[in-house]
Amino acid sequence: MISHMLTQSICEQVLARALRRGGSFAEIFYEDSRTFGLSLRSGRIENASTSRPRGAGIRVYDALRSIYVYTCDVTPAGLLRAADKAAAAVMDSRGSGRDVVLHETRPADLHPVARSVFSVPAADKAQILREADRAARAVSPRITQVTAGLIAREQHVLIANSEGLYTGDTRTYTRLTCSAIASDGTENQTGTDNPGARMGFELFSTRVDPAASGEKAARTAVTMLDAPYCAAGEMPVVIAGGFGGVIFHEACGHSLEATSVEPGMSEFSGKLGETIAAPCVTAIDDGTMPNEWGSENIDDEGLPTTSLVLIENGVLKNYMIDRLNGLKMGMAPTGSGRRESYAFAPTSRMRNTFIAPGTDDDEEMIRTMGDGLYAAQMGGGSVNPATGEFNFAVQEGYLVRDGKITSPVRGASLIGKGSEILMRIDRVGKNMTMGQGMCGSRSGSVPTNVGQPTIRVSRLTVGGK
Amino acid sequence: MNKDASKDMSLSEFSARALEAAAQAGIAPAEIFSNSSETFSVRVRGGKLEDYKVSDRLSLTLRGRVGERIGTASTQALDEESLQLLVAGVRESAELIETDEQDDILPPDPAYSAVCNYSEALDDVSAGDKIALAMEIDKRLSAADARIQPDATVVASSGEETILRNSLGLSLSHRSNMIYAYASCLVKEGSQAATGFKLLWGYSPEDVKPWDVADGCAKDALEKLGAVRMASGAYPVVIRNNAMADLLSTFCGVFSADNAQKGLSLLSGKEGETIASPLVTITDDPLMPWGLGSSPFDREGAATEKKHVVEGGVLKTLLHNRKTAKKAGTKTTGNAAGAGRIAPSNLFIAPGDRPLSDLIAAAGDGLLVTEVSGLHAGANPVSGDFSLLARGFEICGGEIRRAVEQITVAGNFYQLLRDVTAVGDDLLFEGSPVGCPSVAVRLLNIAGE
Repeated sequence: MISHMLTQSICEQVLARALRRGGSFAEIFYEDSRTFGLSLRSGRIENASTSRPRGAGIRVYDALRSIYVYTCDVTPAGLLRAADKAAAAVMDSRGSGRDVVLHETRPADLHPVARSVFSVPAADKAQILREADRAARAVSPRITQVTAGLIAREQHVLIANSEGLYTGDTRTYTRLTCSAIASDGTENQTGTDNPGARMGFELFSTRVDPAASGEKAARTAVTMLDAPYCAAGEMPVVIAGGFGGVIFHEACGHSLEATSVEPGMSEFSGKLGETIAAPCVTAIDDGTMPNEWGSENIDDEGLPTTSLVLIENGVLKNYMIDRLNGLKMGMAPTGSGRRESYAFAPTSRMRNTFIAPGTDDDEEMIRTMGDGLYAAQMGGGSVNPATGEFNFAVQEGYLVRDGKITSPVRGASLIGKGSEILMRIDRVGKNMTMGQGMCGSRSGSVPTNVGQPTIRVSRLTVGGK
Repeated sequence: MNKDASKDMSLSEFSARALEAAAQAGIAPAEIFSNSSETFSVRVRGGKLEDYKVSDRLSLTLRGRVGERIGTASTQALDEESLQLLVAGVRESAELIETDEQDDILPPDPAYSAVCNYSEALDDVSAGDKIALAMEIDKRLSAADARIQPDATVVASSGEETILRNSLGLSLSHRSNMIYAYASCLVKEGSQAATGFKLLWGYSPEDVKPWDVADGCAKDALEKLGAVRMASGAYPVVIRNNAMADLLSTFCGVFSADNAQKGLSLLSGKEGETIASPLVTITDDPLMPWGLGSSPFDREGAATEKKHVVEGGVLKTLLHNRKTAKKAGTKTTGNAAGAGRIAPSNLFIAPGDRPLSDLIAAAGDGLLVTEVSGLHAGANPVSGDFSLLARGFEICGGEIRRAVEQITVAGNFYQLLRDVTAVGDDLLFEGSPVGCPSVAVRLLNIAGE
């Protein structure tokens, strides 16, 4: 049932009003959400808050121009006022004064939720953070600070458009964040682990052990405290799976989004069918994986989510395309339109994006690499999509000498260009794992999974001291 | 008709009802904080208006004491359901919280200073005028140089009003607005590609003149052409104002008393000690006229005031809210940012008297850093360590020699403050409440080839 949010008849009136002076397409994105955040620091619950974001965004295509008006006033009068503001900006008067007739559709729910965080007693929620905190502190007396957080969000959305769509969905997210600081009195090092999924509180009975997460964060911090600085230079780099996939996400994924492809601001613009990566590289963006952090039933334009092959054996197969960029490119949208909230017009975004499993052996790739770097745990990074230049922090790195992992090193970063690193991947391992992130772009911050098996890059610039 | 939505109340009616509901539920004292904002923005690309965005937004937070603790809950919906959610949310929050690190709810301070960062005239600038401004920037950028491919030009304005009321007689409000314009472009020559960017902001269209934005953007891109990498090593470095502001912004948490008291800043207990070069003075000024971060009161309702955080290299004070001040036996500096957090208002390194060209000349053989990126990943706000992708110019014999790219600049922020050898006269706030002049640093590690 979605009519308790906005009735079909109100949506029809608002959409017709938005197209009163012309425009080829109009859409309402309504959201009424609940969020819960709990944080623990110094062993005590420090913050607990709930919020109710609610509002609506109205979008009109004026030829290929996007007009977007959003408001917190979702009364019928408020929505009609917002529609008027959108209509006032329309210049192309073709198709003005159209009627809109809606038909309700209900997407299948690929991501069932067992237990809403909002029905869990306060003490049980606090207990999760205490377990993570205790386990992190038990790792070493040099762990001086632990911060743990529980984040939950239930986003109820309704999407209606002038093509007759009237649909909705509820997206439920639960995530644990752990950050541990190790100190030797003069220096501090940080380790983090932030697992989450598109599910409810059952996250902690099915997928995530809070103690294991706290311990993992603490181990990284302690390991890095003893590590000398990484020496700078060019070398082969082996990148472990899971959050290591951030390298593909940042260096290549963003450049395959229509947002940068369509205006020609991507190094992969116009390269469909061409070889852009080594033959061992196949990459996928999949919104259908059950209960994964970046999964969806429908995207934020109301289209069913999909699984999309981006690169197959090195050849560029697909871009991630939203509705408006699809119109501009003359290509079909791929269910990739996403937005943080009603306060953003959607654009093409990643979901669960990963390098597919290959055939190589993890142990062999290190043994045969000579001298280089093993990046066991990646931090975040950023990329300039126009040039493909990227920069990633290595949160936990190890020196490899003559094919053997030796000492941990700190302060390393990986820099290079997306097109280059894709061609230089020479090993892809067998076990793909994923890590969770919040990805920022023009349409705000959305949950995405990054992933890969262990991979090897034959040559990469390592920044350090 | 939508049953819930049709029952929405006005902000003042809802605020009064929420304070009433809180009192009835035994939440006392209680406070309502609301923020209403309006934004307008247009984006032009390739001579065409591509994006047009208008918004009005509201958020409201109820805080209140239940027993020992203060709970918090917020909403964007002003209806009956929200009244219940707020009261239940504050109660659950107060039940869960175990620390005292909440902002206090107190009667008003005796006096508040006046500060203006709101232009009534700006509210009268029409949508058509802002679109024309964006078109003009885009046109001038296209005409600037044949190698330039303009990306996007954005003109935007925003206005907001914050209101803070509590059950102890406090009633404060502050209004601000601004306009900004930026352009980005791509420049290609042979196999070389570079991007350019320029942002200007202010309180009138006069502050964002089309030629200044377009020319700045073109110049930024063109001077990066022909960029090479640099040999790895330790070099004297000049950090240009915009890049230095990015660094200070990333590391400004080291001046938070809350971080210091929790072991997250190495400046804990260092008040009165020399922590920086004597050339360094860092000021937090919430009463700066036309400052982006200006406000006469902070999130706790405390009156704000100008203060030096670092003066002549000596740490004078950390930034406090009432709780951290009480713990440290001092008084609040008016930097409460909500939820027990502390944030600067307008924070800047005081400018020196030397032009950037002097700093470059004095560097001898080294590097001018004009851009750092990857700050959210490559900078550790706790240890102060940073390793950042950078761009800039090689300095040879005190003169700019050529553009450099694909290098990382690594160092430690605490050490950098001590290693400052000169401060420029070019203080810049680039659309942010954190500003800096250009700064020369003794040595930083560069990773190139």
